[in-house]
Amino acid sequence: MRFLRTLLLPLVALASLAVARSSTGDSILVLLDPSLQRDNFSIFFGDLEKQGYKLTFRSPKETEPQIIKDDVAQFAHVIVFAPDTKSYASDITPQTLVSLLNKNTNLLLALSTKQTPLTSLASEFSLILPPPGTPLISHFPQRDTPATVIPVEPPRSNAVLSPNLAPVWFSGVPQALGLNPMLVPLLKAPAQSFASDADSDSGADALVEAAEKGGEGLWAGSQLSLVTGFQALNNGRATWVGGVDMFTDEFFNKEVAKGKPSGNRQFARDVTAWTFQESNVLRIDTVEHHRVNETLPRETYTINDRVTYTAYISKYNPELDLWEPYSGIKDMQLEFTMLDPHIRTALLPVPGEPGKYSVTFRVPDRHGVFKFVVDYKRKGSTYLESTTVVPVVPPRHDEYPRFLSAAWPYYVGAFSTSAAFVIFVALWLGGDERELKKNKGSKAE
Amino acid sequence: MAVGAFSWIVFALFAVAAQAATLTLQSPRFTISASDASQLRSEPLSLAHKPTTPLSLGATDVLKLTFQVVDKDDGKGIQPHQTFLRFYDEVSGEEGIQPVKVTPGGKAKFELNMARPPASLPPTTTDPLKVSLYLGSFVHPPVQYELFDLIVPPSQPPAQHPEEASFHVRPEIHHTFRPEQKLPPKVISAFFAALLAAPWVVLLGLWSHIGPQIPHLLSPSILPFVATLAAFEALLVWYWVALRLGQVLLYGAILSIPTALAGKRALAALGDRRTGKSSK
Repeated sequence: MRFLRTLLLPLVALASLAVARSSTGDSILVLLDPSLQRDNFSIFFGDLEKQGYKLTFRSPKETEPQIIKDDVAQFAHVIVFAPDTKSYASDITPQTLVSLLNKNTNLLLALSTKQTPLTSLASEFSLILPPPGTPLISHFPQRDTPATVIPVEPPRSNAVLSPNLAPVWFSGVPQALGLNPMLVPLLKAPAQSFASDADSDSGADALVEAAEKGGEGLWAGSQLSLVTGFQALNNGRATWVGGVDMFTDEFFNKEVAKGKPSGNRQFARDVTAWTFQESNVLRIDTVEHHRVNETLPRETYTINDRVTYTAYISKYNPELDLWEPYSGIKDMQLEFTMLDPHIRTALLPVPGEPGKYSVTFRVPDRHGVFKFVVDYKRKGSTYLESTTVVPVVPPRHDEYPRFLSAAWPYYVGAFSTSAAFVIFVALWLGGDERELKKNKGSKAE
Repeated sequence: MAVGAFSWIVFALFAVAAQAATLTLQSPRFTISASDASQLRSEPLSLAHKPTTPLSLGATDVLKLTFQVVDKDDGKGIQPHQTFLRFYDEVSGEEGIQPVKVTPGGKAKFELNMARPPASLPPTTTDPLKVSLYLGSFVHPPVQYELFDLIVPPSQPPAQHPEEASFHVRPEIHHTFRPEQKLPPKVISAFFAALLAAPWVVLLGLWSHIGPQIPHLLSPSILPFVATLAAFEALLVWYWVALRLGQVLLYGAILSIPTALAGKRALAALGDRRTGKSSK
């Protein structure tokens, strides 16, 4: 099967330039505001359809098709481009969006300067939004677009985005990040940008007062994030975008410099690839454990045993829509835990065998119920978690070391007793009573 | 001709008006003073290059920064929309943005008191903070200046989420095993084993003196019994080396039958010998 697939690879690559499939499903529900024209996003939605996704469009106030019905998610992914709607239909609430995320439905959510139900949901994801009506503006660099339309340099090296992306046009709301490590900032604001509702220089005093007010103060600087990803513990991904404008055809086609197109199209493709579980998706296929010179796992291990633990890890290849063994994780760790980790070692890839990670270690000399725990969490990749419970028992009565040098006197004693018994029996049964002639003679006298 | 000249002048005027004035700083100056208001360092700032030595503040020092934002062409004071100071630690990536209060005449004054640092000062280590000034406006082109490097006392490290450690490589844990049990030296064991074997030496020595005889041992009524008893001892040695309890009990049970039969014969023969002798 794998051989056939490697044969098909060159044909597939020729047939379509970038058909990338999601690992969790192809159906996307797009909640599009009635005020937004679908044609304004034709390139963005067209790219998604070319990749093989099935898009279903719906206004947030309509009731059909529902995003969740009878506690079952109806679509694999949901895009919410509803910046102007103040209230949604009854099946779209912050609670249902969170329950969708828990059911492994991925979300792409767009914020806006107006108060929408998503504004309160964003704080649940550790995103701190500025007050309504304060979009991000930047006077730098000097350009002929309004101050709210900002070219942003994508990060130099990022696990999610393509390298060498052109600057991206952005217009919308910045998010201040909380401390949650599950947040994956994808696009950070330029250092000179800040959130403000001013449109003339007379707003300068208001800016200074906002900063001195304390509390959140002023949203400014490169610590702000404009496009933030979030990966929940069940590996469902939700991406928060500061504004829908960066997905419009106008921004896709806008030039950042003479003759240089913007990076919006490639950026949008990278963001949807990560959000819809195409890129950076890993999984643990199986784990195995056995004693060093055996191949099958045992019901229990004995203290001081040498045990080998093996994990097989695959990465999803979106172009080929299959899971391939992946040996690129260099810093995975295995913990052998009973209440607290007793042993934590590096679980390194085995050279020559793709996808196989193995380590051999000595079981601690405490008995009890232990767990092999693999808990690999890094920003941007799927979280890998695996727990295998094994009992560890003390040695049985006949597993202790024997024939020790300290026991030699006891061996000699025991063997002496046995030998003496047999010799005595032989002498007593086989021997005769002898007349003591000499004594008799002397006695008779 | 006059119309052409007039339109040329109009266009020129429009061009001048469209090109808004560039901003610049006039007389930027910093002063570092100690908590008792004595001046430690006071210099004008150059817009072209940073001061040769970085500015260094102690735990109670005060840094005062003054400048005036003016139009480059006519020197008129301007209050731009954005006058921000940016404190940036290149090594750790921490950043803080501080707006500077500017009067409508363009005069700006910023004071940094290390005894009560502003919230915009980021967490610091011993690395210097790069301080830059951003001037942004809706009508004027934006300007930014790299002012100076600032060294402040190190602060507490930035707060971390309790789960943050699980997103990085964690320190390895090795288990300390109990040391192997130590055995006494083999010489001592050998000595005591020899001590236990000593009675055999005495016994064999005395026997060689007496010369015991076993005339009846090889008769067919005695030998099987002695042989089965020796086999029992061999079975026990085998159990000590390799067998398990169930096996040794099974083999012992099997072996006990011929042992009992042979023993009966042997004791009968012994009894006959005794009674035969006494009957003689």
